[in-house]
Amino acid sequence: MTGTDRRPAAAGLRVVIAEDAAVLREGLVQLLADRGYHVCAAVADGDSLLAAVAEHRPAVTIVDVRMPPTYTDEGLRAAIRLRAEYPRTAVLVFSQYVETRYAARLLADSAAGVGYLLKDRVADVGEFTEALARVAAGGTALDPEVVSQLLSASRRAASVSDLTGREREVLSLMAEGRSNAAIAASLVVSAGAVEKHVAGIFAKLGLPQSETDNRRVLAVLRYLGS
Amino acid sequence: MERYAPAPVLRAALRATVSRRAGSEALYLVLGLPLGIAGFYLLIILLVPGILLTASVVGTIAGLGLLIAATQLGRMVGAGHRWLAARCLGSQVTAPAPFRPGTGIIGRIDARLRDGAAWRATGYVLVKFPLAVLGCYVALVAWIGGLFYLTYPAWWWLSGAAVRADHGTGKPAVVMNPLPVGGLHVRTWPSALAVPLLGAAVLLAAPWAVRLFVTADRWLIRNLLGAGRLSERVRELEESRASAVDDSAATLRRVERDLHDGAQARLVALAMSLGMAKEKLGDDGEPVNVTRARELVDTAHRSAKEALTELRDLARGIHPPVLDGGLPDALATLTARSAVPAGLTADIPARPTAAIETIAYFCAAELLANAAKHSAASHVAVTAAARNGALLLSVSDDGIGGADPDHGTGLAGLRQRVRTVDGRLDISSPPGGPTVVTIELPLSA
Repeated sequence: MTGTDRRPAAAGLRVVIAEDAAVLREGLVQLLADRGYHVCAAVADGDSLLAAVAEHRPAVTIVDVRMPPTYTDEGLRAAIRLRAEYPRTAVLVFSQYVETRYAARLLADSAAGVGYLLKDRVADVGEFTEALARVAAGGTALDPEVVSQLLSASRRAASVSDLTGREREVLSLMAEGRSNAAIAASLVVSAGAVEKHVAGIFAKLGLPQSETDNRRVLAVLRYLGS
Repeated sequence: MERYAPAPVLRAALRATVSRRAGSEALYLVLGLPLGIAGFYLLIILLVPGILLTASVVGTIAGLGLLIAATQLGRMVGAGHRWLAARCLGSQVTAPAPFRPGTGIIGRIDARLRDGAAWRATGYVLVKFPLAVLGCYVALVAWIGGLFYLTYPAWWWLSGAAVRADHGTGKPAVVMNPLPVGGLHVRTWPSALAVPLLGAAVLLAAPWAVRLFVTADRWLIRNLLGAGRLSERVRELEESRASAVDDSAATLRRVERDLHDGAQARLVALAMSLGMAKEKLGDDGEPVNVTRARELVDTAHRSAKEALTELRDLARGIHPPVLDGGLPDALATLTARSAVPAGLTADIPARPTAAIETIAYFCAAELLANAAKHSAASHVAVTAAARNGALLLSVSDDGIGGADPDHGTGLAGLRQRVRTVDGRLDISSPPGGPTVVTIELPLSA
């Protein structure tokens, strides 16, 4: 296996980046180009992002939350508009902080093609690009930090505490948007064992079983947030 | 007319008579009469039965209700008088703080009865009544009477032959009588011609008589309708506390922004470069892309150094280490680094507290930067001196002037920062220059 062999999934995938810190923007462009993505545009504010998406119709966008002019949440607002106007463009929101409130707004309608990650995650290049690919393919990528905040703040904490340690791990990974296969790989167990855990979790929490991964994410998040 | 005025005193007296101030003061006394009388009577109507009922055991509750109504009316009428004084006299008396209602029925009644501002205003309305009547009378008699006397010969002539025909009967033709008793009897043309002299004298005295009443009234307004010294001080402190909170919140926001946009972003970039380099170096036994890995490590190295610089600058912005050696040293460093040649005179025998030193340092830094950016000055002088328990900092340049705290946030921000410790910032910057900014800070805060 060489580094080159790890990138086929990304081949030519069109990306638009919105990030106001030049050093990060350039780093991301380099990283994604290196991984075989096609970076159509790299912009520094929300309006330019909307314009660039309208022009290039990328498969996925990477959006910083705080950008000029107000440095509050214009990236997030732009991301929500993108979700409404270009449902086929996946959005990976990329932030210095984790705000579960942001995640909730982003996931309000559907979890398909949505990601919300801490900027720190980019240090693990492999995991970051995997999350990006998952989002681009219509999946979900939620930062483990968001998930753990949701888990600890959840009013359902009592029923979550009924789960076994392994089941809680599986629940977190599910909430991050990972597939059964990815969960199995991450926990180094068999796919069958994961399926068993998932069934156990849904039974204990009283959730209906959902077929697709991102429906499953929404179900879990709604459960935790309610 | 002025040509004949023999002495400056007379000139001043004439000027006082025709001044705008004399007019508005007289107007104030006249306009104050209706409000003074109406307010007084309404108040008495509520107050007298209120007191009587409260004193009788049976009607206490109704009596207290009347008293509350009376004091609240006093507050309103007082506000009217304060407004009139502000409009006519330009008096700047701060209104008392708005009433803070209590909770529960008893609490509410209690709070109303203890409303000191309302009781003081009620007192004012009661005292204002005689003052308004007398003041208005004096203003009208002095001004209208004076003008009447001054033009008396014309009236005497106009009042007709009938009056003058009585000349021989011994009855007075016109009774000059500003007071209820006594008076001047004018019977002959020569005495009629002398009356204008009296008129002139009355007119000259009029503004001073009016001012006597106005001064007394001003004193009453300040003490009875104002916020009261203690509560004025409380208000000042509330404001300075609010601006201290704002200032520290703004500082924290700025620090957070600097961290977010600077060091944090660079560290993320650094981690990203290292992550990519790690991949290039490959796992055990994998072929190594050394050239690319070296480039990435170079980038990471650069990011790390930049992050260090940014963190150092940020730390210096929060607490300049140079201040550890005292304000004079810190100011010397600032002036030495100034883009415009700057001189420093510092005389600070006792060290101010750290908060004051920090504020003085940042003010000096900002003002020097302003001078370099906007003033086109060729020299800036910085002086810092401790005198009478205050630290005086002044930054003056020989530039083009026109600095305005209302435009641009820099000076306004400094003023706010200075106010947090009860300090003052004065700016003199006429167009064409020079600009002198003086800051006065307490030595300890």
